Amino acid sequence: MTERIDSYADLIVRVGANVQPGQTVYVSALVEHAPLVRAIARAGYAAGARLVDVRYADNHLRRAFIQNATDDDLTETTPWQLARTEALADGGALIMIAGDPEPELLADLDQERVGKARPVEAMKLQLRAQNERAVNWTIAAYPTEGQARQVFGEPDVERLWEAVAHSVRLNEPDPVASWREHSARLRTRCEQLDAAAFDAITFTGPGTDLTVGLIPGSRWSGGGLTTVDGVEHVANLPTEEVFNCPDWRRTEGVVRSTRPLSLGGTIVRDLEVRFAGGEAIDVKASTGADAVRGQMDVDGFGRRLGEVALVDGESRVGQTGITFFDTLFDENATCHIAYGSAVTFGIDDIQGLTPDELRERGINVSSIHTDFMIGGPEVAVDGQTADGKTVPILREDEWQL
Amino acid sequence: MAAVDDRGVGSTEPRNSAGGGLAGARADRLERYAQLAVRVGANVQKGQTVFVNSQIEHAPLARAITRAAYSAGARYVDVHYRDQHVRRAMIELGPDAALTYEPEWLKTLARANAGEAQIATTGDPEPDLLSDLDGERVSRARMKGVTEIYRQQLVDRSVNWTIVAYPNDGWAEQVFGEPDIERLWEAVAACTRLDEPDPVAAWREHMQRLEARSAKLNELAFDSIHYRGPGTDFRAGLLGNARWMSALFRSRDGVEYVPNMPTEEVFTTPDCRRAEGTIRSTRPLALNGEVIEGLQLTVAGGRIVEVEADRGAGIVRGQLESDERARYFGELALVDGTSRVGQTGVTFFDTLFDENATCHIAYGFGIPEVFDGEPGEGMNVSNVHTDFMIGGPELEVDGVTKDGEVIPILREDTWQLPE
Repeated sequence: MTERIDSYADLIVRVGANVQPGQTVYVSALVEHAPLVRAIARAGYAAGARLVDVRYADNHLRRAFIQNATDDDLTETTPWQLARTEALADGGALIMIAGDPEPELLADLDQERVGKARPVEAMKLQLRAQNERAVNWTIAAYPTEGQARQVFGEPDVERLWEAVAHSVRLNEPDPVASWREHSARLRTRCEQLDAAAFDAITFTGPGTDLTVGLIPGSRWSGGGLTTVDGVEHVANLPTEEVFNCPDWRRTEGVVRSTRPLSLGGTIVRDLEVRFAGGEAIDVKASTGADAVRGQMDVDGFGRRLGEVALVDGESRVGQTGITFFDTLFDENATCHIAYGSAVTFGIDDIQGLTPDELRERGINVSSIHTDFMIGGPEVAVDGQTADGKTVPILREDEWQL
Repeated sequence: MAAVDDRGVGSTEPRNSAGGGLAGARADRLERYAQLAVRVGANVQKGQTVFVNSQIEHAPLARAITRAAYSAGARYVDVHYRDQHVRRAMIELGPDAALTYEPEWLKTLARANAGEAQIATTGDPEPDLLSDLDGERVSRARMKGVTEIYRQQLVDRSVNWTIVAYPNDGWAEQVFGEPDIERLWEAVAACTRLDEPDPVAAWREHMQRLEARSAKLNELAFDSIHYRGPGTDFRAGLLGNARWMSALFRSRDGVEYVPNMPTEEVFTTPDCRRAEGTIRSTRPLALNGEVIEGLQLTVAGGRIVEVEADRGAGIVRGQLESDERARYFGELALVDGTSRVGQTGVTFFDTLFDENATCHIAYGFGIPEVFDGEPGEGMNVSNVHTDFMIGGPELEVDGVTKDGEVIPILREDTWQLPE
């Protein structure tokens, strides 16, 4: 057990964030993630970190905050949060731990307030630092009893650990080498997609007929990112996706989510969204629709798309056949899109642009970023070229290029 | 006393109890305890931010305090969790520079405490966690700049604050030799008067008695205190512009609060220039994750000149080296046998409790609350403040007046002055 958590922490530090000697490592986790955080602290110092700076959050405190804070305070950033985020943006490494131990903890609260409650200014700064490739960062999950109960109907943490270990290639003899190979394969896909230079991606399936317009010249990303200082890192453990930045003005049609979405303590089921002129004009769900709407309305651009991502049936996450109720995993099981802030890793010459200047180029700017799953064997994915040709990308979850 | 009011402790507050039975009663006890910390301890005011500092193992109490603070009208409850294992990793594996590195945001956070309320929780879940590490590195791992900001807030009396303990397995194991957490809870509940039908009224009465004792000591205006017992013959000079008081504090903004729960002591800050003799500690001292036993100090000219101990002397020596004024004394405190902490007969290995079992003194920083003058003129100023216990039935404590009259204060743990 100890050995597994240490090699997981090592993978997170060396492959995920790729912590460089002398860096400060910022870790964001829940109190329930302590065993992994402690292993990460050890691995971080072993990798030469100057300081491992851990900030533990607690969803029970968040619950009390949402119940009691004034509307204005719900979105407030404290001075120290801002100072810490500024320090992070100035060359830090960032490790975020996912894995919700009590996924329904906030389900009985006012969902609009749940969606809104976030330190907006600090989040914007952090997302900007990530998008401008100023920090090497990663997100990894810690299996908890609560999540195991949600996934399997019983608190079988060991079974969840095995699924996580399979998904992140921890069960390979040499996980680091295995990741190198895997990253190379995803990068090849990006090259194929870039060569095809699609103008839009279409998704067609039950309840879904969606066209997502792309930004000309915006490259596909996958298998890892590189900071402006040249540090290669794998932003999500696991990752199986190749993704791009849509033009926030050019999404049309309807989409039906194919998996449940866990949204900070609330489960959103059967989400359906209609887009016109890039904007989500109608949001429906059998549960949690208010949480989605509350989040989308946190600023003026939450209703616009910021990411489109493609995943095929070779995905290790998809192969487990498990719905993890955690975006980090579920988005790597299948194709997905995200509303909110854009992923801009594939777009050049945007450093220092104002939000308005970014939007002029089709890049969405928002304080949120929420992925939801729209893929599966029944969903056909095609690329549309500027001169009107349709090229199959995915059929029955198989890569066609 | 405004600190001890009737705003709901143990009465009609809605409770987040987990149903009936034993579990419900225990959940209810935790909520009542949190209410006591918020309403009597820190005395949180409407619209204040409440900064809570806890180890992650204290999460259940931190959560209950958060709920209680919002119900008392707090604007925002900002909980900061610490993890001793992360600290261990830093001391064991981190570079030298990490030990004293101070992130700017921690200073921003420290400054934000001014004018607000603060609640810290103690109760070490792994008291020996750092004991196999290099003691010198353990002592060196301190953020002096951040500490200085908090220390200045104490001088300015700009924060209404309190400390309460959270019983946990590791702490119970250390105290009883087995993880009997319920037994520890009962001891803590007795010490904090949580077992009283009306804890608020019990605290009011208790604080009045301690206030009366300090009033009597101030009336007698002793020039020095003389301690005599096995291994101890120690004289500490007092200051004309420092008074005795109980732990009923008043902030700059006029908020009365009780900074320690429990509290059984009356205390003053001594003249740091006048202390002579030898001292033998009568209880173990938990410091920086280590336990120091059999501590003996030799004092000359106000200064600790020699440190011996059966165990852990290096930790104390390291702390005394950390700044040049650490070797001088900052506090004298008197506790008699009526102490609820003393009556439990338990050594808690936690200063918050043990210092209230019996008489103690502290080296390091003095107590601005009791001192009327410029810090540094008689009252010691340092970045450390460590209490250790010297009391017990065998200790005799006398007050000595300016003209040499000797008046007994404590004999066989019994208070000798009229009450």
